[in-house]
Amino acid sequence: MPTAPAIADEATVARGAYLAGAAGCDQCHTDSKNGGAPYAGLRPMQTEFGIIATPNITPDAATGIGGWSGDEFIRAMRWGIAPDGTHYVPAFPFPYFGRLTDSDLADLKAFLDSLKPVSQPRIPGATSLALLARARSAIGLAIAANRPAGPAPPADDVAVARGAYLVATVGHCGDCHTALTWLGAPDPDRFLAGSHGGFEGKKAPNITPDPKTGIGSWSEDDIASLLNDGGTPDGDFVGGSMAEIVRNTARLTDGDRRAIAVYLKTVPAKGFVKNN
Amino acid sequence: MRLSTKWVAVAGITLAAGLCAGVARADDAAAVDARQAVMKSQGKDTAAIKAYIDDKADLASAQAAGADLVTQVAKIPDLFPKGTGMAEFPGKSYAKPAIWTEWDKFTAQAKTAADKAVALNTALKGGDKAAITAAFGDMGKNGCGACHEPYREKKPS
Repeated sequence: MPTAPAIADEATVARGAYLAGAAGCDQCHTDSKNGGAPYAGLRPMQTEFGIIATPNITPDAATGIGGWSGDEFIRAMRWGIAPDGTHYVPAFPFPYFGRLTDSDLADLKAFLDSLKPVSQPRIPGATSLALLARARSAIGLAIAANRPAGPAPPADDVAVARGAYLVATVGHCGDCHTALTWLGAPDPDRFLAGSHGGFEGKKAPNITPDPKTGIGSWSEDDIASLLNDGGTPDGDFVGGSMAEIVRNTARLTDGDRRAIAVYLKTVPAKGFVKNN
Repeated sequence: MRLSTKWVAVAGITLAAGLCAGVARADDAAAVDARQAVMKSQGKDTAAIKAYIDDKADLASAQAAGADLVTQVAKIPDLFPKGTGMAEFPGKSYAKPAIWTEWDKFTAQAKTAADKAVALNTALKGGDKAAITAAFGDMGKNGCGACHEPYREKKPS
């Protein structure tokens, strides 16, 4: 018999809330354009698998994730498998979240469980529309699962290691900024080197230190500053989906924004490939 | 051979309409250029203020940029005449059609940006760096960025 989840202490919930912000969970799981409740889902998203209404991840038992056990939550986050055994399409970035630590996943669940349950209609995914895309990505993901997300950071540098975790796992930056292989998995040879298949099929720029097509001319201050207010070194302010990301990175600590900047400067510089 | 009056009239009207359309389009193209020039000058101003925040320039240069920024940002809604977006000028303009389909929302957002530029200018005049930094971030995120987010398309590289 399932037991009621223990009420998590405030510090655990706060850590989970911080992580949810760093991962930008609310960005997709909130229909902000139509005034939807945070984390209650139903944002329509254009993906290669068709238009998807994002799921409700508030702890509503019937329509959210209220009935989930800790193990079910971990399986969904790491492997993209729902409690009923169905598979999520990788529009949900579980291939990145697979490397979240056990304690971070526990904090995250404690935070989501602390939210007010919201009842929402359940909208099933459009499986029939995109069987081929699903099959292709299943193969690609199986191969990618056995590869590291990015180059291994030097273990002795705490800031770089923290930045690597925030970029390659928590923030899943490669979800938009890394081009895909023909099998639909992130291409390790073009890690963060930009993609024409970013969020909702838009172009995402090269954020490796490549001097010509990347951000090689940016200082660590420039990167940290963009993550804080969205400003670029030439005085512009980012728009599009990155402006949504900045709303979340602005809530990170200065230390974490700095760690992301320090890490991005260590990523191998790669040129942006036009045709991908 | 003699052309009928009717055909001459048709040809004349067609030619005139074509010329008018050509003129209108040239005007629209000039509007896109003017808009992009203003946006660029705003970028120069914000970069100058940013340089002061990063200790790379003095307060006086930031104050001059702040005053200019107020006048530039106030121009924004008028820089977007109908027919000057990415639909009419693909590859030149990146202004999304939503600007004109939800014009009231767009002008409200432009007004927010203008108000925030004024607040930044006030902070710059006051000379308190912490207040300037906060006002700069607020204007960038909730003024400029909040408008670029729904209304500016990403440039292809």
